Amino acid sequence: MTGNLYQPINSEIVDVIDESPTIKTFVVVPEQEFKFETGQFVELTLPGQGEAPFTPSSSPKDAKKMEITIMKVGRVTGLLHECKKGQKLGIRGPYGNGYPIDDFVGKEVYIVGGGVGLAPIRSLFLTLVDRIKDFKSVTCRFGARTPDDFIYKKALFGPWQQIDGVNIKLTVDKANGQWSGNVGVVTTTLGRSDVDIGNAVAVVCGPPIMMKFVTLKLLEFGFPPKNIYLSMEKNMSCGVGKCGHCMIGKYYVCKDGPVFTYEQIKNYPNIWD
Amino acid sequence: MELYVPEKSGEHYIYRKYDPSKEVTFSNIRACTPAKEFLFPLRELAAVFPEPFEPEQIAPFAVFGLKQCDLRSIEILDKVFLEEEFGDPFYAARRQQMFIISADCFKPGKSCFCNVLGGEPFCQSGFDLNVSKIKDGFIIEAGSKKGNDFIKKHADLFGDVPAALLAERDRNRAQTQKQLEQNNAELKLDAPVQELMASSYDSDVYDEQARSCVECQACTRVCPTCHCFYLYDTKQKDYFGKMKMWDSCMRVAYAKVAGGANPRKILGDRLRHRLMHKFSYFLDRYGIDMCVGCGRCVDAEAGGVDIRAVLKKLNEEFKSKDRQKAEVKK
Repeated sequence: MTGNLYQPINSEIVDVIDESPTIKTFVVVPEQEFKFETGQFVELTLPGQGEAPFTPSSSPKDAKKMEITIMKVGRVTGLLHECKKGQKLGIRGPYGNGYPIDDFVGKEVYIVGGGVGLAPIRSLFLTLVDRIKDFKSVTCRFGARTPDDFIYKKALFGPWQQIDGVNIKLTVDKANGQWSGNVGVVTTTLGRSDVDIGNAVAVVCGPPIMMKFVTLKLLEFGFPPKNIYLSMEKNMSCGVGKCGHCMIGKYYVCKDGPVFTYEQIKNYPNIWD
Repeated sequence: MELYVPEKSGEHYIYRKYDPSKEVTFSNIRACTPAKEFLFPLRELAAVFPEPFEPEQIAPFAVFGLKQCDLRSIEILDKVFLEEEFGDPFYAARRQQMFIISADCFKPGKSCFCNVLGGEPFCQSGFDLNVSKIKDGFIIEAGSKKGNDFIKKHADLFGDVPAALLAERDRNRAQTQKQLEQNNAELKLDAPVQELMASSYDSDVYDEQARSCVECQACTRVCPTCHCFYLYDTKQKDYFGKMKMWDSCMRVAYAKVAGGANPRKILGDRLRHRLMHKFSYFLDRYGIDMCVGCGRCVDAEAGGVDIRAVLKKLNEEFKSKDRQKAEVKK
C-alpha cells in the first residue's frame, strides 16, 4: 500500500562497527533511496520486536546507505546490539526538522557534544566540513566518560583535528594511562572567548544533564536563547505528530524538532528530564 | 449498509449494530462510549513486514443518534488524522465511508458542560442527516450532499416542514440549552480557557486534583478527542505486524525514554499536560479547543478527578491574579 505512514521501508544491516563498550554503528541500506537532512531522525524497526528513534550519524550526501550509531540502553537497543550483518530491518522517515545549516552561514559554529550525542553531531560535522568556507569557524567541545567511551575515535583523535577552520577540544570525566588531554565534564572546557558570541550559534547534543549544564553555561556567557540549538531526546514513536509521546509543551519533538532553540522551549516544565 | 444505533445499557447508552428485531431507542443524551471508536479503533494493524499489506476495504456504514459534542469531537480528530502532510490512511478510509445521522440532545446529563465551552445541545453542521424529535414525529435536516441524496432518493418518506413544527423544534432546543445553563450556572469562565491556562503552570490545582487519581486511565479512554496511541511490533505465524493501539498520557511511563528520563513522572504534571494539550496546545496548532465538554471523563473517573473543578479553580485563580494586577496598576 502506498501512503501508509506506518509502513517501514525494508532495509538491511550491511556492516556493524564497534565504537565503544556500549555503542555500535550500524550501516543500513534501505531498499529504496532514502534522503534525509542532517539532524532529522528515523524510526528503526526490528521486525516483531520493536521500534525506536535514531538520528543518522552519516552525511546526508549518501542517499543509498546511512550509518546509525546506537547505544545499548533499553530493550530495543539491546536487541539491535545483537544484530549481525545481513539482519533485516524496517526504516521509517526521515522525520522532523534537522539543523538549519543555512542559518549558520557566515557564523562561528560552536558544537558541544557528549557521549552518544556525538552521533547526530557527526552528521552535522561532516555536512559543515563539506562547505567549511561558508562558516567563519567550527569549534567543537566533546566529552566522554573515559577515553574508551569516545565514539568515532579514529576520526576524532586524528583527521578531524587537522581540518582547516576546525578547532576541537576533547575531555573525559575519568582518564586512564594513555590520556594526556583535559579531564573534567564538558562544561569545564567551555570558555567565554572560544567564539565571538555576537556572531555565533551553539549546537548542543548529549545526555539531558549535560545539555542542561552546557545550556546554563552558554547563557552565562551571554548566548541569546535563540542561538542555542538543542537536539531533544524524547519518546518519539509515530514520527508524524499524532501519537503524543514526545510532546514538550505544544511542540511535537518528532515534527517540530528534534532540533529546537532554547528560546522555543525554555518556558516549559521538565524539559531536561 | 451497516447501521449502528444507541442502546440503553444500565443508566447509559452504548452503540450496537442495528438489529431489525429490536426497536431503536432515541437517546436523549450522548452515549457513554466515544464516537472515535468508529474511526480510530482501540487496536488495529498498521503495517506488515516484510511484504506491505492491503488494508481491508471499509464498507459504507451509518451511525445514528450522535450528538453535537460527538460531531465536534470528530472535527477535532479530523484535524489530527486528515492532515494533508501526514494523513492516517486507516482513519481517512473510515471517515470517508461514515454516514452521520445526528440528533438533538434532550436531556443533558449532570456532567455535561458543552455550553461552557461554546457548544450547543443540537447540531448545525458536521452531519449528513440530523434528526430533531418533535411531539408528532421527526424533523430531518440534510447537512451534506450525501444527506441530500438520501432524502431525494427516499422522497416519499418526507414532507415539507410547517413553520409551526420548526418553531416547536426551536423551543425544544432553547429549553435544553436553558437546562444546560442552569446545570452549569456555577461554572462561568471569565476569560477564554487558553488564557486561564496560560498563567496556570505553577498552579497547585493539578497536584491537588491528581491526589485522588488512581491512574485508571478511564478519562482518556472515554474521551472522544483523546487520540494518543502507541505502536508496537508483533510476530505472527507468517508475518511481522506493527499494531496501533490507544494509549494514555496519564500512564506513568508514557513519555519515558529508554535511557530512563521521564519528563512527567509526577501525576500532577501529567494531568497538567493533558489539560494544557486540550485547552492550550491544540488550540495553538489547530485553532480549536480539544475538549467538547461532554463530561464523559467526569462520569468514568474512578478517582474523582473532575475537569470542571480544575476549570473552576483556574478561573478563581485567574480572577484573583487579575485583581492583583489591577491593584498594582492603581
